[in-house]
Amino acid sequence: MRRFLDRYWYAYAMVLPVVVVIAVLVLYPLAQGVFFTFTNINEGNIANPVLDRPASYDVVGFKNYLNVLSGGDSYGAFWGTLVRTLIWTFACVFFHYTIGLGLAMLLNRQVKGRSLYRVLLILPWAVPAFISAFAWKYMFNAQYGIINQVLRAVGLPDPVWLGQSDWALVSVIMVNVWLGTPFMMVALLGGLQSIPGDLYEAAEMDGATPWQRFRHVTLPGLRSVSSTVILLGIIWTFNMFPVIYLVAGPNPNTRILVTYAFERFFSGASRDYAIASTYGVLILSVLLVFAAVYRRALRKQGEVW
Amino acid sequence: MTAMATGVALVLTACGSGGSSSNSGSDSGEVTFWDTSGPNESPAFAKIANDCASKGGYKVKVETQAFDTALANYKTAAQGGQGPDVFRAEVAWVPQLAKLGYVADLSDTDLAKDTGDFLEAPLGSTKFEGKTYAVPQVTDSLALLYNKKKLADAGVEPPKTWDELKAAAAKLGGEKAFFLNNDAYYALPFIYGEGGDLVDASAKKIVVNSEKNVKALQTAKGLLDSKAAFTSLDAGNSYTTMQAAFSSGDAAMVINGPWAVADYLKGTAFTDPANLGIAPVPGPTAGKGSAPVGGHDYTIRQGTKAKQSSIKFVQCMASAESQAAIAKELGLLPTRKSAYQNADVKANAVVSAFEPVTKVAHERAWIPEGGQLFDPLKIAYADVLAGKKEPKAALDDVAKAYKEQVVTEYSIG
Repeated sequence: MRRFLDRYWYAYAMVLPVVVVIAVLVLYPLAQGVFFTFTNINEGNIANPVLDRPASYDVVGFKNYLNVLSGGDSYGAFWGTLVRTLIWTFACVFFHYTIGLGLAMLLNRQVKGRSLYRVLLILPWAVPAFISAFAWKYMFNAQYGIINQVLRAVGLPDPVWLGQSDWALVSVIMVNVWLGTPFMMVALLGGLQSIPGDLYEAAEMDGATPWQRFRHVTLPGLRSVSSTVILLGIIWTFNMFPVIYLVAGPNPNTRILVTYAFERFFSGASRDYAIASTYGVLILSVLLVFAAVYRRALRKQGEVW
Repeated sequence: MTAMATGVALVLTACGSGGSSSNSGSDSGEVTFWDTSGPNESPAFAKIANDCASKGGYKVKVETQAFDTALANYKTAAQGGQGPDVFRAEVAWVPQLAKLGYVADLSDTDLAKDTGDFLEAPLGSTKFEGKTYAVPQVTDSLALLYNKKKLADAGVEPPKTWDELKAAAAKLGGEKAFFLNNDAYYALPFIYGEGGDLVDASAKKIVVNSEKNVKALQTAKGLLDSKAAFTSLDAGNSYTTMQAAFSSGDAAMVINGPWAVADYLKGTAFTDPANLGIAPVPGPTAGKGSAPVGGHDYTIRQGTKAKQSSIKFVQCMASAESQAAIAKELGLLPTRKSAYQNADVKANAVVSAFEPVTKVAHERAWIPEGGQLFDPLKIAYADVLAGKKEPKAALDDVAKAYKEQVVTEYSIG
């Protein structure tokens, strides 16, 4: 031990600041959040030095987890909400990726005004999310929104987009697809440009059809970029809060896990920190399990990360 | 979660640095006022606030806050010892803020003395467990607002009952006769009209799923089913749609409060303000219409560094003169009886039309959970109007949510 310290003290001293910062900024709040899930803490019984009030919450064991996992409506109908979260996540990421890839392929060739298209296509990403969200909310207005006006004008049925039905979920998915596609497009365009052109030439010489070139040159060439952006996309979308909250508000038909955690944290006569933290821990657990499975699947395919 | 809360607190710290600057003794002499009244009204309030400051010898900084997010922002700020010195709180927020200790107890100050001039209902909202925490700013209630020209052209009188409304709709061109807002607050005239309520605070009972309320929601749904009314089924847009429908002349009638009048008068249907008619809300039978008491109060933040100046400021803002000036300019209803004697106030058409309505307005339970009663009801009411749920089943769910989330110590029934 002594020799170990003598030998490596310098390295440990160098690492120490990072360890301290991470402990203070990440580990301590995380541990505190996990602790809150075993209490009945809320705004009324949390300690508040400013108001001179000591803490008066109690430890309640696994009660919060039991309440949430039993799936009761008063605790956010956890299982239904989880399924909706998964639908939301995979639908969004699927369309982000496919549309993003399509646009990237279009932009990856010599066309007139390519840089103009690029700027236009990246625009949704450059607009602050809350501005886009409000704009979409007005467009979705069932009576006066432009979408329904157009639908009525061409004689199609005009659904109540943000009402009490699954159309609301479809609407927020549409908004999020519109918002998230540019990122995928830029990332995949970068990936496409790193595929050497001679691979395509060689394939063409061998008589490969465009589909075969796409299938056997483009997709394998994009694999490392794709696996990263899809993982990031899934984690971001799973926890995507502003789009749903700003477009649909607290509508149970668009409720996903994070928006419900927010509802519990910020609304309520006294903010229910305990249930909100319980949701936080459950979200973290779901994402950890997912990341582990995803990583194992990639490792089997020979990816290293 | 913790990280999220801290983040919000930090953001708020950056913008609302209450009375923490230039500390001279116990009172900094600088009052920050959070005004939640919205773009139509806040310039008038800001002007009066600045007049008060120059007369009273203290400084006032008026910061406008969006009404929707003001409560959450205030709570987050006050929890961290930040935020405004004076906060314009909706009447239902006061008991909640008092219970959580975010607003100062004013019982021993001048603000709690001589309250005889205030109207009883708004004054009730300033009390919590026998102590005074606020001073009434404005009061309001809901009324039937109608497009006089449209009703006259169709040859109908403003309806006094829901059945009359249905009959009138036939002449007014069907569903465009009446816009029914599917937000929970706008369900209250139906519920109170039937003699129902959400909770019985004195008996600690949840009565939201009573037979009366089921009937009330059936009445509301019946208006839609018989094509006597239309609604915006997308709940998030319903207020905007209501404003657009009525001010453009698309809808002939709506139920709304005095705060909305300024918005309507900007619309094409009301270029002549005299076209806007105001009548009591309809009821199940004539004269049984009943609407909730609403309004806003001034509160002073617990932990403010400018308490004396804040008290002076609130005194000035809530004085009969200030209230009369507000009523004259904005048509908002004063909370002082003496302000109604003012000639300018009497001459204001909106105030004089709403005054009888507020006198008979239905009291709400002034409990800390009062504001939260609307969240579950909002979803249920929208579901009922969309035809997704039967009134009874929807209200049973609301009762269950109240029991499990809002007023846990109450019993259902």
